Amino acid sequence: MPADGPHRAPGAAQPQPWGIALDLGVRLGVSVILGLGIGLVVDNWLATSPIFTLVGMVLGVAAAMYTIWDVASKAMRR
Amino acid sequence: MEEGGSLVHVEIAAEPLFEIGPFTFTNSMVGALLTTAILLTVAFWFSRRSALVPNRRQSLIELPIEWMANIVQGAGGTRWRSFVPFILTIFLTVLVANWIGLLPGVGTIGLAGEHDTIVPFLRPASADLNFTLALALITFVVFVSFGIRANGLRGWLKEFLGEPRYMSPLMAPIHIISELSRLISLSMRLFGNVFAGEVLLATMLAITTAAIFILPLAFFVPGIFLGLEMIFGFVQALVFALLAMTYISMAIAEHAAHDDNHAEAPVADAVTVHPAPTQGAV
Repeated sequence: MPADGPHRAPGAAQPQPWGIALDLGVRLGVSVILGLGIGLVVDNWLATSPIFTLVGMVLGVAAAMYTIWDVASKAMRR
Repeated sequence: MEEGGSLVHVEIAAEPLFEIGPFTFTNSMVGALLTTAILLTVAFWFSRRSALVPNRRQSLIELPIEWMANIVQGAGGTRWRSFVPFILTIFLTVLVANWIGLLPGVGTIGLAGEHDTIVPFLRPASADLNFTLALALITFVVFVSFGIRANGLRGWLKEFLGEPRYMSPLMAPIHIISELSRLISLSMRLFGNVFAGEVLLATMLAITTAAIFILPLAFFVPGIFLGLEMIFGFVQALVFALLAMTYISMAIAEHAAHDDNHAEAPVADAVTVHPAPTQGAV
């Protein structure tokens, strides 16, 4: 590992930190709404309310948490 | 939206103007065509008259392109040249599409609609969700293809389905929602900001038209908001382009990090085989 910071491959892409922050800010909310929306649509289609709405919401929240973890782990790896 | 007593009318969906066979032309399509025409004309003119030593007019056009290219170069690593044309195209298209809404007559000249409203001939393309969603879809395809090119189809699928393999039924829907959230956030952000700007301008024009007897106010207030919309249009174009760049550079950086990890493995082995010099060095 070089002494000047994280072990980034020479010439590797380096996303702007504020670009990542701007992206994360909206995607957290959108993930939950998207999961909930998909669940509602599936429930309306199959008449199984509220099973898929709940599943969709849980998946949406999980997707939001995964997004944070994914972006943070990639940033730390760089 | 309709302001009381005025002819100012801002509909959330683009309004149909005419039909050619099965195709319905909306006012935002006219805006998109005008955007394309402006960009093509400038590109054609620029490519014909560009000189090695630029004159003032050429410098004015080169300025935003060079500025944006420098940003992409700083963040894009060694592969920046492969996606700088895409980022510049996105930036210039969104910028021109946003600024078309500031031209005189856009949103105010059109056909007579129902309830004393106007169906404008021209609407900024980025104030239509179809346009912004199309741009977001193109961006999505581009950054996914960069990810596949960097990691290979198998590597990309492995990342997408998650590891260990038995977690795939849970991880795949989470990944799908996570990826789709990029599409929605890109398209809704641009649409929301530009549409809100259109509504704001229409409202301010309606208010100041009602207060036309205070003449300085009638010219001054819309002027302030037009200036602000010009800044917002630029910022939104920049945000869209830089987010597209962030997604592409994240897809490429992922590959570089993988390479880096693989490259470090033999070094770690070497340290294990010869512990004494390493300890001495520490």
